[in-house]
Amino acid sequence: MLKFVIRRVAQLFPILFGVVTVTFLIMYIIPGDPILSLVGERYDSETIDRIREDLGLNKPIPFQYVDYIVRVVRLDFGRSFVTGRPVIDSIKEYFPRTLILAFSAMLIAVVFGIVIGAVSSLDRFKWLGRALMTFSLVGVSIPVFWLGLLLIYFFAIKLSILPPSGYGNGSLRYLILPAVTLSFASMATVARVSRSSLLDISSEDFVRTARAKGLNEFVVFGKHLFRNALIPVITIVGSDFGSYLGGSVLTESIFGWPGLGRYIVQAILKRDFPVIQGAVLFMAVLFMVVNLLVDVSYGFIDPRVRVVEKEE
Amino acid sequence: MKKTIVKSIAILVSLSFLFVSCTGKEETPVLRMALQTQPSTLDPVYAVDYSSGLITSLIHSNLVRIDTEGRFCPDLALSWEISKDCKYYLFHLDSCNFANGRSVKAQDVLFSFKRLLSPSTLSPRWWVLAPLKDARIYHEGGDWNPESVEVIDDSTVALRLERATAHFLSLLSMPAAGIVCREKVETKEINYGREPCGSGPWSLSRWVESERMILEPNHFYVGNKPSIDGISFRFIPEAMTRIAEFEVGNLDILEIPHAELRRWRAAGLRLEKTEELRIVYIGFNTRKYPFDDRRVRRALNMAIDVDAVIAKILFGAGRRAKGVVPPMLRGGAKQPDAYRYNPQGAKSLLKEAGLENGFSMEIWQRENPEGGRILECVQAYLGNIGVRVKLVTRDWSAFKQAVDHGTPDAFYLDWFADYPDAENFLAPLFYSSNAGGGGNRTWYKNHRVDSLIDSASSLPDNEMRMKLLFEAEGVVFSDAPWIFLWFPVRYEAISGRLNGYHIPVIFNGQRFLDVSF
Repeated sequence: MLKFVIRRVAQLFPILFGVVTVTFLIMYIIPGDPILSLVGERYDSETIDRIREDLGLNKPIPFQYVDYIVRVVRLDFGRSFVTGRPVIDSIKEYFPRTLILAFSAMLIAVVFGIVIGAVSSLDRFKWLGRALMTFSLVGVSIPVFWLGLLLIYFFAIKLSILPPSGYGNGSLRYLILPAVTLSFASMATVARVSRSSLLDISSEDFVRTARAKGLNEFVVFGKHLFRNALIPVITIVGSDFGSYLGGSVLTESIFGWPGLGRYIVQAILKRDFPVIQGAVLFMAVLFMVVNLLVDVSYGFIDPRVRVVEKEE
Repeated sequence: MKKTIVKSIAILVSLSFLFVSCTGKEETPVLRMALQTQPSTLDPVYAVDYSSGLITSLIHSNLVRIDTEGRFCPDLALSWEISKDCKYYLFHLDSCNFANGRSVKAQDVLFSFKRLLSPSTLSPRWWVLAPLKDARIYHEGGDWNPESVEVIDDSTVALRLERATAHFLSLLSMPAAGIVCREKVETKEINYGREPCGSGPWSLSRWVESERMILEPNHFYVGNKPSIDGISFRFIPEAMTRIAEFEVGNLDILEIPHAELRRWRAAGLRLEKTEELRIVYIGFNTRKYPFDDRRVRRALNMAIDVDAVIAKILFGAGRRAKGVVPPMLRGGAKQPDAYRYNPQGAKSLLKEAGLENGFSMEIWQRENPEGGRILECVQAYLGNIGVRVKLVTRDWSAFKQAVDHGTPDAFYLDWFADYPDAENFLAPLFYSSNAGGGGNRTWYKNHRVDSLIDSASSLPDNEMRMKLLFEAEGVVFSDAPWIFLWFPVRYEAISGRLNGYHIPVIFNGQRFLDVSF
């Protein structure tokens, strides 16, 4: 197991190097100039040149690249061109908010998704199952933007029980609507996958054997069915959670949630290179770590994954 | 068993609703506003965007400022004298204090102005003080001329200009000319843009990154104290969310998007409106064929029924631009006659220019839903006279880069006044040496316009100055480097509890000293 983890961690470095290089290059390929965000509507070209020189953007690109790589190795992400704040300070401030939102959304998605999937997989609740599956189809298809506005309209404006937007110092009331909005698509996918996975497994021999042994239905479900059906669910949860950690731009924008997604989009719009590079690198590391954890967790849930690794 | 489960779920759901609904809204004597983006900085020398300029001006004082109606009024300077040749300004300072309690002295004016001009500051707004004597030399690395800003005593400061500049007081009212607290700026551990210390009526109390900013009264402010306890600016990027926040009573002031106007008017809510000091236009790249031909540019002006676009797309929230100077700044001067909607006339003009078969062109715009709707109308109108328009949308940075480098044939843009003066609608936008990033993005060049603007800016007599500026405007209007569209009307919804608020004509004209609940 340890070997497996070490090998996976070692694989991260070439990927990280690729991410760093691609992010760096993209910044120079796409049109737009970071200096133009700093100078407003009236400026003279001498000022532009001086600011460019001050930020080191007048150096040849290979030199800038080497400078950047050296800084990354030293874990120095630089300062925002626009605000002058160290990028790492901003990430420290934005990330916990994104983490709370992503975690809550995933929690809602997993709990409700699995319940919906499980209920609809049972023969006894055929009509309910169909209704729930239709609901989850709607959930997968519904645009986040529209859902967010709809929730604001009902829960904030019409019923006045939740605030329409904001962070509210982390108060739970402010978290509910964005978390539900963000969770919707994942919840629907989890529901559909867990249903089909449960249905597949319920016809397996070992489930029939368990039932034939006279085991209680709860034990059959919990110990045999559910545990085996979890593998595909974890894959979805892992990849969705990984991408939510990078911030969910639409949800954060609709609900005025001050997370990483909005921070990055603002930086992209202003071509704030250090912020984009720092934040993308941070997201890439996170995404890879989450995926690594997912892979490791397979081993715990399904010991065969470990066995295969050993045999290789 | 089943019943128990159902019961527990029901209890849980009711409890959670009870929990969320019992923490209701609280009434606070804090003015609540929303901004689309958070300020990049609160340092006057780097504040270039709307949010930064607005809040920086609440925290800092200038020598003079502009009130909600667009008139000059004293700020730090209690009074001022201007020499006959308009090259010497003497300011008598009021006794004012910075938010840290220290009194503002003439030396602070010298420090702040020198800082703005210093080449090491790298301020993009150094040009605000460019009229000062030898300012340009200092900005380019030369010596500072002590005559330019002279501290006579603690409460008197004299400014000497290179040449008479009639709109110099307007420049002094811009956020960049705000007076900063020297010891705060010079403290290395402090990023002044995030921990500003000015002598304005408000000081920064709290800044929650990307979420909100709270201003509290500057306790050492000497002028009229605000009658509210603070101002809270929420940063909400989405217009629909800002509307929802207003509707549930969490905001006191809300700018209403034009597309929403009908609904709000019908609802009979309290609306304030003002004609903005802003013009919306489609600029031609006058260096490119066929837009280097004035007949073509005039033809395109005649091909669009601007009044219909204002009525249908803006729901009437705009006034047809007959000229480039907004009516509010004309002082009763007549506007040029608008280009009459005349597709046949436009076609004849195109024929005269040898383009009877029409031509293809691109109009660039930044991402903006309203702009998209407007340009689709423009596209249809121009299609009627045989001009095939391709609309190109780019994000702001790419758009700005392309326009400033003169890439597009034409572009859809607007211009916000920096200060309420006709000069601000002519010199930056049409003076030939301002081509590109200076504001003249059409690369328009007309020696007569240049010389009229030059002569006007050195005239002490305002009436004569305006006459020259309007003459320049007449030439520009008939040369048609733009399709002249409209001066937008800004609508704001005001909460029932707020009194004494008026939309300022210029973005930094409202200081919220007269508002109350």
